[in-house]
Amino acid sequence: MNMLTIVVRAIIIYIVVLFLYRLMGKRQLGEMQPFELVLTLIIADLATIPMAEVSMPVLHGIIPLLTLVLLHYLLTMLSKISGKFSNFLSGKPVIVINPNGIDYKALKNLDITVDDVFEAIRGCGYFKMEQIQYAIMETNGKMSILPKSQFAPVTSQDLKLKPEKSTIPISLISEGKINKANLKIANVDEIKIQELLKNANIKQVKDVLILTIDKSGEVYIQKFNEKYQTFKTKPLGKVTE
Amino acid sequence: MTKWGWFKLFSMIFIFLVLIAICVIEDRLVVKSLDEVNRYCYDIEIAIEKNNGIVNGEVASLVDNLEYSWKKNESVLCFLENHKSIEELGVEIVRLKTYIDEDEPIEFYVSLDIIKHYVEIYQHFMSANFHNIL
Repeated sequence: MNMLTIVVRAIIIYIVVLFLYRLMGKRQLGEMQPFELVLTLIIADLATIPMAEVSMPVLHGIIPLLTLVLLHYLLTMLSKISGKFSNFLSGKPVIVINPNGIDYKALKNLDITVDDVFEAIRGCGYFKMEQIQYAIMETNGKMSILPKSQFAPVTSQDLKLKPEKSTIPISLISEGKINKANLKIANVDEIKIQELLKNANIKQVKDVLILTIDKSGEVYIQKFNEKYQTFKTKPLGKVTE
Repeated sequence: MTKWGWFKLFSMIFIFLVLIAICVIEDRLVVKSLDEVNRYCYDIEIAIEKNNGIVNGEVASLVDNLEYSWKKNESVLCFLENHKSIEELGVEIVRLKTYIDEDEPIEFYVSLDIIKHYVEIYQHFMSANFHNIL
């Protein structure tokens, strides 16, 4: 029954770690601040020890986890209260490229090379240094780029256009199943769904891989293993935002 | 503050209280268990002196009580301490019973001393002190 013990321990620790991660927030791995990354690494290690070591109480794994999460909460609160403390904990964003070019002193302070800067700006879609007005190394290690105005992507505002307000498409059918909660949000019924299927020459709901509709009535529908279709239908009435 | 913010705050307060409660409970439990073992060891020594030997009803009864008391405490301590680190005491208590059955007073005394030694060691490594923290 030793295996059963390990299985139950793994479940308990998984639930605890999951709950603790939810308490900590939704940051992705690449967006972590240094202190959050440290916490994640330690948690991963701590969680595995009592999982396999049966003679060790589960509490020996859970107690340090709880302590770390509490510490993380306190550090986060202190960072919110004090800007200085936040800077100490997470560092400050650093300008690595300014209108004069690369700030070599900043690179040395950050312990990164010119090649690293090139790699980061290529990752942002820019391949020439002269396209960049400012590049800022954020505290989570990501590079933010402000391109020179002549190289910035054209926006509707630049073209003095008045585009329609963007709306999020609502998924009505996903993998052959009607999403009833979204029907309510989109304020449509199943008769409307049948109408949309008829427009797309699809007989049954179960044949549909995905069906989305946005507020303006733009429909995107795709059958399993077939190419998608788009068409316009009557704009939706009141959508629950 | 949002509902989620309040939930987080209460969770953190709860976690803080749980941590304190576990630390206090563990400390009390360790002190109580080890004190009981120490007390039984002392009583056993007096009983041996009084009865001039280890083979008598009083010593046997005290050893049984020691075994019962430790087993009971050990089962609770296992939730808080690594079982491998505290199992030797139980093994040594069982040996005491064997030595009574075989009338081996020297081995009995050695085992009793080992038990007292374990109690001393456990008191050291289970308590929160500067040495353990580092």
